[in-house]
Amino acid sequence: MTGAPLPEPAASPTATDAGVRSTQRAPRPRWRETLGLLARNPTAAIAAAVLVLLVLMAVFDETVAPDGPNEISVDDRLQAPSWAHPFGTDDLGRDILSRVVLGAGVSLRVGFLAVAFALVVGALVGLLAGFYGRWVDDVLMRFMDVLFAFPAVLLAIAVLAVRGPGAGNTALAIGIVYVPVFARVTRASVLGVREEVYVRASRSVGASDWRLLTRHVLPNAAPPIIVQTSISLAFAVLAEAALSFLGLGTQPPNPSWGLMLAEGRGFIDIAWWLAFFPGMAIFLTVLCFNLLGDGLRDVLDPRQRTLMAGGGR
Amino acid sequence: MSSVFLDKGSAPGQGRRDVLVSARGLEVHFPVRSGGPLRRTTGALRAVDGVDLDVYRGETLGLVGESGCGKSTLGNALLRLVPPTGGTVTFDGLDVTAMGRRQLRDLRRRAGMVFQDPFASLDPRRTVAQTVSEPLEVHRLHPGRQARAARVRELLELVGLDPAVASRYPHEFSGGQRQRVGIARALAGEPDFLVCDEAIASLDVSIQAQVLNLLRRLQRQLGLTLLFISHDLSAVRHVSDRIAVMYLGRVVEVGPATAVAAEPQMPYTRALLSAVPLPHPALERSRQRIVLRGDVPSPARVPSGCRFRTRCPDVFEPCPDVDPALQAVGSAPGHVAACHLHGVVGTPVRREDPAAPAGAGDPAR
Repeated sequence: MTGAPLPEPAASPTATDAGVRSTQRAPRPRWRETLGLLARNPTAAIAAAVLVLLVLMAVFDETVAPDGPNEISVDDRLQAPSWAHPFGTDDLGRDILSRVVLGAGVSLRVGFLAVAFALVVGALVGLLAGFYGRWVDDVLMRFMDVLFAFPAVLLAIAVLAVRGPGAGNTALAIGIVYVPVFARVTRASVLGVREEVYVRASRSVGASDWRLLTRHVLPNAAPPIIVQTSISLAFAVLAEAALSFLGLGTQPPNPSWGLMLAEGRGFIDIAWWLAFFPGMAIFLTVLCFNLLGDGLRDVLDPRQRTLMAGGGR
Repeated sequence: MSSVFLDKGSAPGQGRRDVLVSARGLEVHFPVRSGGPLRRTTGALRAVDGVDLDVYRGETLGLVGESGCGKSTLGNALLRLVPPTGGTVTFDGLDVTAMGRRQLRDLRRRAGMVFQDPFASLDPRRTVAQTVSEPLEVHRLHPGRQARAARVRELLELVGLDPAVASRYPHEFSGGQRQRVGIARALAGEPDFLVCDEAIASLDVSIQAQVLNLLRRLQRQLGLTLLFISHDLSAVRHVSDRIAVMYLGRVVEVGPATAVAAEPQMPYTRALLSAVPLPHPALERSRQRIVLRGDVPSPARVPSGCRFRTRCPDVFEPCPDVDPALQAVGSAPGHVAACHLHGVVGTPVRREDPAAPAGAGDPAR
């Protein structure tokens, strides 16, 4: 009974097992590598490029726009698209292209601010609730449930009624509405990652909770949050439209895509371009956010990364 | 092959040896909650239920038992990765259960853990270098980027990996290589004590031998104390100085590896050993298997008295009434077993609560 039925390895205990050939990678910084890989994903690259263009357009709106957005010209009312007015004119004779360019600033700003707020607050709540569980989870998530239970528009109207209309307050109102969504997505993802052995392994070498959360749990819980972010950006642009339609968001005559869409709705039979072009702008933006979100999720996963880096060379 | 056991110096247990880790009456009970919104606690799952165990400095203690007997929970409880619900653990004279933040962090440096599944124990989003240097960053060892990188290379070489793989991600490695990375991480803080929790269970047999030999080499080289948890008795016999056998949350036999392997004193250990295949065909043909009847009782419903009595082939009348304590058995010094066949020693079961064997107040400990 003293036999130890385990084969003794040959001279070196590492003979077969450690034979990883090192193909030295260029010591590029990680963010450069990420950008490089993103550029190799054509859909994501195009989406990113379009978004950059849209942001630039929003920043330099006054110089890009061919006409003043609020220049009324009664003679040019409801003109179909032409060389003079590529996107046509609205019922007050305002150039729609100019208004779409100007509206980009409002819509994108509100979208970004709202999602940034919802992402930071929601992800933090979800992270703490999912990681610590027990009463922390109960308290935070019941509070989120209360927020969730309010009809979204009612909640936003309440926020705007208290704080008054304006781009910043619109963003805040939309952001608050989306906080529970991010909290739930994050919590669900964290609940899975929390139980992973590598989190326990990290604890076993003495890592603090903060370190576990920031270095291990959050990065591994990130993919669904990234997807949620890109989807929410789309919804935030639409929500801004809804609030503007109700008269609580952007105030006329200032343009925003949502407001223009809402205003053009009444003319859809006789002048389709009033609603079509702002609608296309929203569609394009939302599509690009989603494609970029998908691409980012893939690129940030080391497993996919190796596949992509290997396949591209 | 018996030289494996003889070259480790004098038999452990002779005289007083230097104890590094010690458990006394250690209990880890998990609450069993009812369903529904009230989540009332309806019982306790006794994963570890009154364990007394000493790990001597510099030795390898093998811990064996069936799946679900509490081996892993015990290993985790010794390092306070699972909070004990009763009893004490001391590490190098310090009470682990009463440690504050700073002491606990120091314990985490001095006691490491190697996990079962090398595919789960490494963060897929961090490179090998980031994983191995985590203990260095946490404990501020080898400060500075250059010094840490140098130490990581050193550690990778120590476990037999090419230091050039430091910038790679775990998914680019095989199971054996990943386990080496896990070992390198556990060694980064220069620990005294390493718990190997089924560290070879999920590896191929040929790789198992390599990792076992790596662990033995590291132990000699670094003077480590190892707690080697496994359900694989032949692997445990291969590496251990002493063997502890666990059944249903309790250590039921401890002794020098040779003594436990050659003359097991507790029916459960005998049954376990009889299940190990022998490498010689003639011996294998004549091997007598002791097949245990029935299933392991649920740790939420532990039998009274001796917890093995429901499956024991030698059960007799004191077994349900007296909870056996560990007593000296056999001829080898330091060999102890909890079995009434060697004389009825232990705590009589209180009649009014027949389902519960005696708890923390056991005078025999």
